[in-house]
Amino acid sequence: MADRPAHIRLRHVTKRFGDALAVDDVSLDVAEGSFTTLLGPSGCGKTTTLRMVAGFHRPDAGDIFLRDVRVTDIPPHRRNTAMVFQEYALFPHMTVAENVGYGLRMRRVPGPEARRRVAQALELVGLSGQERKFPHQLSGGQQQRVALARALIVEPEVLLLDEPLSNLDAKLRVRVRTEIRQLQQRLGKTTLYVTHDQEEALAISDQIAVMHNGRILQVGSPAEIYFHPANRFVADFVGLANFIEGEVVDAHHVHVNGLVVTVARPIARAGRVTLVVRPEMVRLLPAAAVEQPALRGRIAATAFLGSLTRYWVTADGNEWVVDVPAPGHETLHGEVALLLPSERIHVLTE
Amino acid sequence: MAVLRWGEVRRHAADPGLALTFLGAVGILVLFVLYPAFRVLLYPSLRDYLALPQSLRWMQAARNSLAMMLLSTLSATFVGLLFAFAITRPDVPGRRFFRSIAMLPLFAPPFMVAFAYILMFGRLGLITHTLLGMTANIFGWHGLWMVQTVAFFPLAMLIITGVLEAANPSLEHAARNLGADEWSVLRTITLALARPGIAGAMLVVAISVLADFGNAVVIAGGFPLLATEAWFRMEGMGDLRGAALVVAMLLVPTVALFLLERYWVSRRVYTTVTGRGSRIERPPTPPLLKWVVVALCALVSVLILLVYFGVVAGAFTSVWGRDWSLTLSHWRLAQDRIWTLWSSVKIGAIAGVMTGVVGVVVAFLTSRNLPLRNFLDFLAVLPGALPGVFVGVGFVLAFNTTPLGGTLWILATALAFWHLPMGYQAAAARLKQIERSIEEAAVNLGASGLRVLWDVYVPLLFRALVEAFAVSFIRAVTNVSIVIFLISPGQVVATFVILNMIQNNIWGAAGALTTMLLLLTFISIGLTWLLVGRVVRTSAVAG
Repeated sequence: MADRPAHIRLRHVTKRFGDALAVDDVSLDVAEGSFTTLLGPSGCGKTTTLRMVAGFHRPDAGDIFLRDVRVTDIPPHRRNTAMVFQEYALFPHMTVAENVGYGLRMRRVPGPEARRRVAQALELVGLSGQERKFPHQLSGGQQQRVALARALIVEPEVLLLDEPLSNLDAKLRVRVRTEIRQLQQRLGKTTLYVTHDQEEALAISDQIAVMHNGRILQVGSPAEIYFHPANRFVADFVGLANFIEGEVVDAHHVHVNGLVVTVARPIARAGRVTLVVRPEMVRLLPAAAVEQPALRGRIAATAFLGSLTRYWVTADGNEWVVDVPAPGHETLHGEVALLLPSERIHVLTE
Repeated sequence: MAVLRWGEVRRHAADPGLALTFLGAVGILVLFVLYPAFRVLLYPSLRDYLALPQSLRWMQAARNSLAMMLLSTLSATFVGLLFAFAITRPDVPGRRFFRSIAMLPLFAPPFMVAFAYILMFGRLGLITHTLLGMTANIFGWHGLWMVQTVAFFPLAMLIITGVLEAANPSLEHAARNLGADEWSVLRTITLALARPGIAGAMLVVAISVLADFGNAVVIAGGFPLLATEAWFRMEGMGDLRGAALVVAMLLVPTVALFLLERYWVSRRVYTTVTGRGSRIERPPTPPLLKWVVVALCALVSVLILLVYFGVVAGAFTSVWGRDWSLTLSHWRLAQDRIWTLWSSVKIGAIAGVMTGVVGVVVAFLTSRNLPLRNFLDFLAVLPGALPGVFVGVGFVLAFNTTPLGGTLWILATALAFWHLPMGYQAAAARLKQIERSIEEAAVNLGASGLRVLWDVYVPLLFRALVEAFAVSFIRAVTNVSIVIFLISPGQVVATFVILNMIQNNIWGAAGALTTMLLLLTFISIGLTWLLVGRVVRTSAVAG
């Protein structure tokens, strides 16, 4: 991916609203044809960043480029960065066809061609035959597709999506996000996506930029972000994590409460470090079944979730979260042993 | 509809208090709303109605009324749209100022704008005569047009502002994002979204213009209009039949507009499709448009300030237009008539209590699942469609020969029931906001039926009650269209005296009394604000 040229480039972009620093010196490259997600809690500056790419806010400092063109001073209606809004922003006084055709009307595309392209766009999102309905007559999922068709029809240079799934119910959210991803890959459209839902970000992206307090904390592939978080915030925000304090022994070993834990990636520092252990990495066995030296603890609470069972285990004064996949009818009780596989454990370097 | 379900009847028979209250409410509304209306409509004979097209003067009045309706509605809605636009754009300078200024005409007694413009733009007007040295004649349709535009545009502004504010700024951003420039956004999104609101505003303004008696009687001069013609018939000629005919004619368009507004336009307003989402600022306004709007709004603001300035200045000026020295002599003359102000206050207080109590009780009843509650609702909103002069003539015909006639009670009752829709709708809206689960919680914890009313609804409706009282009181004290038909030598009210003074060119004392009315109005608004923490709106439909 790195060899593809950057399509969207942000360079030291900063934005203030009054006294509040919304976006703080953000730089980011979005590769041609890639699906990049800005992920972070509300108020982290992700939507502001997206809106600056669309041109709704002007950065106080820094620049934004689309390919080699500096667009920082170009007004939003000349940027061709079509956006899907969180609340869709469908025009309530226009039919589906008028909504989808609005961008073409503003570009003075002649009638017959516009009609052909509207039909095409609606077919693309599976809404053929709904042309004459009004937005309020559609379901949430259908409104979402109209918003998508309305953005895609103008053949935007880049596609911007601002939490487009947050108004859908949970099941529909999963289905529509898959559809969005498939459509994006089929069209090869460079896409910048904003969400606060880490699972959504992991599922849909080529690249994730995790934001917090207006800054980008880490940029990487979903697997990189999940398995090798740059700091405690990223580790905590993306997925569940157990944090364990330890003392570095050498490049591959950490001393944790009387046990020596092996890690795959070499550690470049000495002293106290924090280990990140994902709940599903830990193997949980009845205490009696394990003879080798292992972390031992006691189950404090259990939640059966169907595809996995989640245990809260008290061990060495820490509360551990451990997921046991495909549990079937088996449930563990009482004293248990926790086994930590070396290749998955991550050491925080910050 | 009228089929009574036995289960319900039996259920309500078990709660005789509620059933009796319900029957009582229906009875009272039929007596004080429906009965006077039918008296008016049935007073002239069929032959009288059939002869209407032959009466040149009345057909002229009808044509004039419709022409004024069109003119003033268009101009008032246009100015209302300008103000609504200005105050909903965050980048328009002075928007808060414009919003406050534009509310002022709503608190003015219904003849005040006309009175002030005679002082400003009349033959001896401060601006026309003294400053510009012109010979101006403000009496007639053009003066009335200007007066009604200033008096009624705030109604349009309030309605259109509501619609513009409801439009999600995201829509404008989306249009920009899809390639629309600032003017295209304005044309295809902002104004297009406001269309139903503009239509609704036009209907409400049109009703107010048609029913406008106070301004017309002061400034229309010899220009015959339906609203004033009824009074001239009765005062000049004692012609009750003629008066009834004229107000019946006036009723046709106002009821039609009212129904159109209530059952058509108000359901067509585009509410934004989705709820949550960050509230974001609207995109910038085109600079040229922004400054044109600001200039026009500033001009209208000056016209509004002149209304208040004129009346107060008139109260302290020796001889308006000739001797500009300050004096207090008008206040001595006004003091001779101050007893009429006390009559007004008494009548207003009685009307306020009646509007508040009846409004809250009826709202409570229509919120219950009772048979005929739609009929009760209809009776409670119907007065909103009736011009004041119609109600005035109706009460004359229905109650002047009863013991009510000639007392302040006939005045208070007429005003109270004319104002009922405001009290009723405020209480009904409040009731709708109260979740049924609150009542259920009270019952669940052991409260009986009456305790629920007392513990839950009375405290929660207190605000609606206070507001209904205040609105009804203020409007009663400043009313002219109804009181002018119902006063008797023993029961003269302040507005009637002021009207007479204006017509006899006793402007100073008229200004002094009007200033006192204004003080009364603003004190009432202030007290209500202290009690309920909100500024009440006194004008829904003018009279």
